Amino acid sequence: MPEIAFERHRLENGLRIVIAPDRAAPIAAVNLWYDVGSKHEQPGKTGFAHLFEHMMFQGSANVEKGEHFALVQAAGGTLNASTWLDRTNYFETMPSHELELALWLESDRMASLLPAMTQEKLDNQRDVVKNERRWSVDNQPYGTWDEKIQELLFPEGHGYHHSTIGSMEDLSAASLEDVSAFFATYYCPNNAVLTIAGDVEPDEALALATKHFGPIPANPDLPPPPDLSLDARLGAEVRETVADQVPLPRIYLAHRAPVYGSPAFRAIEVAADLLAAGRASRLYESLVRRGQLAQDVVAFPFPIVGGASIFALWATARPGTGHERLETALLAEIERLAVDGPSDAELERVRNLYAAGNASGLERISERADRLSMYTCLFDEPERINAEVSDYMAVTADQVREALSDMARPDNRLVLTYLPAEAPAGEPQADGEADR
Amino acid sequence: MTRVANPRRPSPGAPRPYHFPAFERHALSNGLTVWLVPLPGRGLVNVHLLADAGASAEPEERAGVAALTAQVLVTGTKRLDAAAFAAATERLGIEVSSESSWDSARAAFQALPEHVDEGLSLLAEMVREPRLDADEFERLKAERLADILQARADAGRLAEEMFLRHLYAPDSPYGRLSAGTPESVGELAVEHVRDFHATHWGPSTAHLIVAGGFDPQTVLRSAEAHLGSWSGGGPGHRSIEARPAGGRRVVIVDRPGSVQSELRVGQIGIERDHPDYFPAIVMAAVLGGVFGSRLNLRLREELGYTYGAHASFDPRRSAGPMISRAAVQTEVTAPAIRELLAQLDRLRSEAPSPEELAEVRNFMIGVFPLRFEATGGVAAAIEPLAVYGLPDDYWQTYRSRIEVVGPEDVRRVAEALIRPDQLLILLSGDASAVRDAVEAEGFGPLEVVAAPS
Repeated sequence: MPEIAFERHRLENGLRIVIAPDRAAPIAAVNLWYDVGSKHEQPGKTGFAHLFEHMMFQGSANVEKGEHFALVQAAGGTLNASTWLDRTNYFETMPSHELELALWLESDRMASLLPAMTQEKLDNQRDVVKNERRWSVDNQPYGTWDEKIQELLFPEGHGYHHSTIGSMEDLSAASLEDVSAFFATYYCPNNAVLTIAGDVEPDEALALATKHFGPIPANPDLPPPPDLSLDARLGAEVRETVADQVPLPRIYLAHRAPVYGSPAFRAIEVAADLLAAGRASRLYESLVRRGQLAQDVVAFPFPIVGGASIFALWATARPGTGHERLETALLAEIERLAVDGPSDAELERVRNLYAAGNASGLERISERADRLSMYTCLFDEPERINAEVSDYMAVTADQVREALSDMARPDNRLVLTYLPAEAPAGEPQADGEADR
Repeated sequence: MTRVANPRRPSPGAPRPYHFPAFERHALSNGLTVWLVPLPGRGLVNVHLLADAGASAEPEERAGVAALTAQVLVTGTKRLDAAAFAAATERLGIEVSSESSWDSARAAFQALPEHVDEGLSLLAEMVREPRLDADEFERLKAERLADILQARADAGRLAEEMFLRHLYAPDSPYGRLSAGTPESVGELAVEHVRDFHATHWGPSTAHLIVAGGFDPQTVLRSAEAHLGSWSGGGPGHRSIEARPAGGRRVVIVDRPGSVQSELRVGQIGIERDHPDYFPAIVMAAVLGGVFGSRLNLRLREELGYTYGAHASFDPRRSAGPMISRAAVQTEVTAPAIRELLAQLDRLRSEAPSPEELAEVRNFMIGVFPLRFEATGGVAAAIEPLAVYGLPDDYWQTYRSRIEVVGPEDVRRVAEALIRPDQLLILLSGDASAVRDAVEAEGFGPLEVVAAPS
């Protein structure tokens, strides 16, 4: 994998800019990270950072409602945005001759969102977001899992205690005043990173970025980051059982984990792959294939930086497998890896899978742009993009063993079990047979 | 969607020309077709082996055997058992996938260039000398049956399955998922998988597609070495008759307690070689293929009924469905259906404005280079050429064929392909909460059915 070349700049208003030219295809990516996510939300305002992200597509001083999407798509571009615990990102991938359109659109809403805000737009997007929540959480089998893990793993008052999608009640309470205050506080150049990647000439790209973003004033009163420090461990095992409309039991194991960006996080990432990436992984081989206890198994740490991250693992029980038996088998496999560590062959396997997966992810300039923004926003070190593979490769068997045994202790473990609920009260209505 | 141009809006520069990558096609002596798409400088290679071994190649009484065969293939070879095969491939950083759709089966992997020859050797061993072991078969069959259970617990996937079942006539294979039904999968035995593999995975109807950073001569030699003496294979696919189950109807699949209704509205659509394929896909994009599509603007951006509304065709060798989709909150189910139907009527009766159509066409044309940014996208783009026999210049002419679709073409295909008297209006949701309101709208004869379990 050749190094990804980039250059860094900082405008007077504090906007950090990364430019990563690659002329292979006539495509350019624009990616903005705002250093604000659901961890910044105040009590009673859960879900607001994400609702605000929706409002960013409702127009700005020179852009009509819906026009951001319409203009980018009519130019042959793709676009979206997402909100998560630590951050909110906005991104466009454009035919390169339309680069300036994307920069102008992003700058117009960073400079002048508020004049376009109306109660009607807020009410509309509140309804849309409530439907997003119904679709992704409330009407979804096992849909509450990450909300529950966050709630049980982090204490009340911690920024990770609530989910990004937020509660229906808090979404109902969001007001236009909240939109104004949130915009004024967080949507400013000194709280953002702009990455431009792909088919661009760096000087031209910088000139365009300066032209459109340069005049936007900084927020001199940017609040300090929230205090997210907490104990590295839960303190005691936490167990919860959820009755849900699901046909098969599923067990979620979660731990407070080392923060993203630390060497220990890397070791946990390797441990997750040893456990559950690919058919030769320990859990797939022992629980899915050989033991036939599980239907599937998935494990990964969340790349988040606020005090602790989350290691999550789940396994769905095969019909006829008791969830207690599945839990015992899961814990035994994790314990075995934590005590003995991986073999050289296992490390070689996950390293090569990682190298291929990394090359695949970085094929897209949009992904490169997003990672450059991320590393700059979280660590002020965009160069980390070129160390991903070597950092992963450098993790040793001992480091895996140490990090896993340190994290996966019973007093740092959450066991969340979903069990099939009884059918809801009342007979299902049916005129006819489903099976014709 | 018409709007006044803002003077501050930047105007585009001159576009850099882009062409779909050149490819070569070779025929090995055993009939295997090899497609090579060299992309110099890329650090990855995608290898797709397509066989005429999709669900359209299976007898209806063995529904699901194609899908299960594809799955069992990755559980080892005569030489390497399941664990050894997984270890041998993953040691190279390769995860082999194997799956099937209606019109083909695909065994594939992505690898760093230095691992392509060894990967191809293992892939060839897998399709030529698979283990097809009874224990692995039974395990994957049980997993498949449990997958169906899981899918039916999901409101959206339940609606998809039930839409097909109610749309197509009972004896039409397209009325089920290509991976089969619990009943048909339950009847399958390992012998059926072995037979299906022996008769449908063979070189004369197969295609090897390789795209990415490689030297064509070297990869061609690898293909010859590993697959050149592959033999076997027999009849290809059957022809499938896509007949509707009946006329316009409303079906509510009861899912008590649902806070949303998953709507599916549509009818039988088009086959892949339909003469109006291009106007049809443009029409579907106007209706529900871009953010500013009519369904999404109305149902989401004006009414807030849904997180998103979409519409698309699913063209196959025979006519797959055309479906409009939205998950709407339970309380607005009836008005959401009314609004959706109104958009279908409008599309049939009035041609889109030139500006609206230009936005959609410009997206489909302009996004062209983005679709082929990754090697996997390039390899996938060769697949319809291989499976449906599309002409070699298909991607060269694609943009000009979109460009010529005019407003009246869109209206004409909407009128021809969206047939109000044939519409199936289906939802999975809480029948007790939505039935009366939906019935009162008089959309058509209404039936409430229980979700299959």
